[in-house]
Amino acid sequence: MSLNKIEAARGWRVRSTQDLAAGLFMIALAGLALFLSRDLATGTLRQIGPGMLPKAFAWICAGLGALLAVNSLRYNGEKLSGWSWRGVLFVLGAAVVFGLTIRGFEIGPLKVPQLGMLVSGPLVVLISGLAAEDVRLKELVIFAIAMTTGCALLFKYALGLPIPLAPWLLGI
Amino acid sequence: MKTLALGLAAALALALPAQAQSKYPERPITMIVPFAAGGPTDIIARIVSENMSKTLGQQIVVENVAGAGGTTGITRAVTAAPDGYTIAMGHLGTFSAAPATYPGLKYDPINGMQTIGLAGGTPILIVAKKAFAPKDLKEFVTFVKANADKVNEAHAGVGSVSWTTCTLLKGQLGVPKLNSVAYRGTGPALNDLVSGQVDFMCDQIVSVAEQIKAGTIKAYAVASAARSPALPDVPTTKEAGLPEYQIEAWNGIAAPKGLPKEAVDKLVDALDKALNDETVKKRLLDLGTVLPTKEERTPAGFAALIKRDADKLSPVLSAAPKQ
Amino acid sequence: MTEMFANLSLGFGVALTLKNIALCFTGCLVGTLIGVLPGVGPIATIAMLLPITFGLDPVGALIMLAGIYYGAQYGGSTTAILVNIPGEATAVVTTLDGHQMAKQGRAGVALGTAAIGSFVAGCFATLIIAALGAPLTKLALLFGPAEYFSLMVMGLCFAVVLARGSILKAFCMIMLGLLLSTVGTDLETGQERMTFGFPPLSDGIDFAVLAMGVFGFAEVLRNLENPETRDVVRTKIGRLLPSWEDIKQSIAPCLRGTFIGGTLGILPGNGAVLGPFASYTIEKKLAKDPSRFGRGAIEGVAGPESANNAGAQTAFIPLLTLGIPPNAVMALMVGAMTIHGIIPGPQVMTKNPDLFWGMIASMWIGNLMLLIINLPLVGVWVKLLQVPYRLMFPAILIFCSIGIYSVNNQPVDVAFTALFGLFGYLLIKLGFEPAPMLLGFVLGKLMEEKLRQALIISRGSFMTFIERPISAGLLLVAVAILVIALLPSMSKKRDEVFTE
Repeated sequence: MSLNKIEAARGWRVRSTQDLAAGLFMIALAGLALFLSRDLATGTLRQIGPGMLPKAFAWICAGLGALLAVNSLRYNGEKLSGWSWRGVLFVLGAAVVFGLTIRGFEIGPLKVPQLGMLVSGPLVVLISGLAAEDVRLKELVIFAIAMTTGCALLFKYALGLPIPLAPWLLGI
Repeated sequence: MKTLALGLAAALALALPAQAQSKYPERPITMIVPFAAGGPTDIIARIVSENMSKTLGQQIVVENVAGAGGTTGITRAVTAAPDGYTIAMGHLGTFSAAPATYPGLKYDPINGMQTIGLAGGTPILIVAKKAFAPKDLKEFVTFVKANADKVNEAHAGVGSVSWTTCTLLKGQLGVPKLNSVAYRGTGPALNDLVSGQVDFMCDQIVSVAEQIKAGTIKAYAVASAARSPALPDVPTTKEAGLPEYQIEAWNGIAAPKGLPKEAVDKLVDALDKALNDETVKKRLLDLGTVLPTKEERTPAGFAALIKRDADKLSPVLSAAPKQ
Repeated sequence: MTEMFANLSLGFGVALTLKNIALCFTGCLVGTLIGVLPGVGPIATIAMLLPITFGLDPVGALIMLAGIYYGAQYGGSTTAILVNIPGEATAVVTTLDGHQMAKQGRAGVALGTAAIGSFVAGCFATLIIAALGAPLTKLALLFGPAEYFSLMVMGLCFAVVLARGSILKAFCMIMLGLLLSTVGTDLETGQERMTFGFPPLSDGIDFAVLAMGVFGFAEVLRNLENPETRDVVRTKIGRLLPSWEDIKQSIAPCLRGTFIGGTLGILPGNGAVLGPFASYTIEKKLAKDPSRFGRGAIEGVAGPESANNAGAQTAFIPLLTLGIPPNAVMALMVGAMTIHGIIPGPQVMTKNPDLFWGMIASMWIGNLMLLIINLPLVGVWVKLLQVPYRLMFPAILIFCSIGIYSVNNQPVDVAFTALFGLFGYLLIKLGFEPAPMLLGFVLGKLMEEKLRQALIISRGSFMTFIERPISAGLLLVAVAILVIALLPSMSKKRDEVFTE
């Protein structure tokens, strides 16, 4: 994997898809930041405006990204590897479901009632558990119930945190 | 598994008949404090709610919902179901200043919520570094006006009590563009005031009293009608020659609009009883708090206070240089 | 000197009553148990547990809180070592080598080293506070915005050294961290910056949310991808406690870490954050074979953990002597004291000597408790690693979700964490290391605030950073670090710059 100068000198082609993607990613993020901060005043050194540092940081990010992309054409490096969509979907989905159901949510036509931890807790464990390739459903269900009970006792009763348990059922 | 199911069934059996009656309160009440635990508003909320719980016969659970200068928590509280189980402890900033500071505010403190009553007023002091030239408030006013380009004012961030009250002061002095140094919270601002990096600031008595007593900073005046028992040597703005600068960082309780009268009455009564309790009184007075008058403890009196301060602050805050 | 011992004995007299020892023990235990939950760092732990101390008398409450604080600090390190999730900024460094040690079956040794290192640092820091608390206060007052900005610049230069792979990629991450730190309402003008007009973003990105996402969730995703690597941790258990050889290797880093962390901890505005990073940098630079760092070097745990604990302790100095909280945790302590009717100020020491010295004594007792509680617990924590991963990560997820929710009682924070999980996974795929990004993020907020303050006070003159001697000195150190870090890679080891 180490680099030597002979390789570096030989022609321009993509030698590291990972670095190329990383460089483009930095440039894209910098572009987004520049777009979002376009209306913020840059100000002067005497009175720095809200936009000065975000814009400066974004330009540096873009510059570093460009350097990274150029280097990916000159030096050998890692290749991009595949994504695990299953993990992304279930693990991150589980956390989002928790956020949506714990106190209810309303965006436009989408309405979720306030379900509380007794529902959100098992949901997180069950949904995220599906991400494992060696998932065992029965074990997971028991684990979900045990974890939720444990968390309810710990957070709600031992620590007295104001986390809703099941407002639609228990009123708390 | 079985016990859990049994427990749920039992809870359900208990919950159902209870819903048929309307004996408020029949379950714990959530008091939303729109700031982190341990801040001045949180402290007052916990002192007052502990005693209110006793009167109401149900626990008041304090829930800290911090964010966006307190407006996140208040939004959640006043848009909740008006059943008396969600109330909020807000302050000068969230109820009077917020409409001018946060253009996209999702609640209307004047017409869109049910006020309960004032829990306490916290005097505001004008303080300066020890070595700052002016000796008293009159000199301070002249000095600041004459040296507007040299003086540095510190505050705890846009939307904070210290920013709100200092912006009012600068507006009244006619120097709105004074050099203003923003800090993240009172602590760091106070640190730089003690070490003399900045010249003056305005803040709540609870944050600065100990420093004044120890002589690490000096106080010009307290912006209340009467001197504070905690700092009897500090004159009021009226005595010291700036009578128009009158502002307090009060804290008060509000609930969603449309609350049943029964719930309002019970909450008002519980607040009044709490404020008459000797222990509560002592703890609030130790913090330098001014106890509310009989009038201010009523929904109407508190609403009038919110409106009065909103009218005072809105023009200054809207005109404040936010670029 | 005699006065100091008289004071300390007064303190121990207060702290060593049966009730206060029990409170200290309970505090440490509860703090450890909550702090060890992934996603719950010291600030969250203290904010959550603050209310349970309200019923106690002031001294008891503060002693218990101090216990909770130390317990939470150590609990946070435990999570960093075991599951690679830092609960707060200072634990980020511990993930670098601590988690690698766990992967090599040396989790017990890492935990033991962290506990012993913390204890040693705690003992020294307690003595420092007792002997020099009052004079050291002056240090806090020497640091104005200009000095602080230079300190942050120096800190960012440390971050380059944290890089495990390509330095260019580490630079990218630092800048990205700085960029992310500017999201949210502008402190000075109140304008919203890069928030998409979305209210939950108006306070900026929460550290816990970002760290949990890019470390916690992304790590889960990475592990799910490689079933063979995730089980490495649980097949090997190895020794439970450090061997004599380990301890010998750790002593010097531990003492250096104590000194660095203790000094930085006194500074206002969360100087303690830099302690572990600075300690790690120095250990890496002093090591005969720097390439061991990031691959499970014990010095990379001992030094930063000592620095962390020493800083955690000396951060009390500005609070106790000036009455000014230097960071968020100390601000919570102010709240706790105020609620008990003690308003912190310069006079606490003379007005409430029993409270002042009792608290200092309880710091030492708290550190001792931590050792007593945690050395036996090391076995339990390590055993936890044997839980099959298919159950481990749903457990991490439910704890993270509840923990993140409970910090601000905001459901949307949990969804944001998931979003940053995706972001972190993307970073892993692109070959970026998240640690320098977190440092950039933490320092970025402070850096911008201090830069703007310094320039407003100096009326726009950059000379202020060079004219002030302390500031100039710090900038010189920053330049020196950069040169040392970049020179070898620029010349002979050039290949290491651009490849793994």
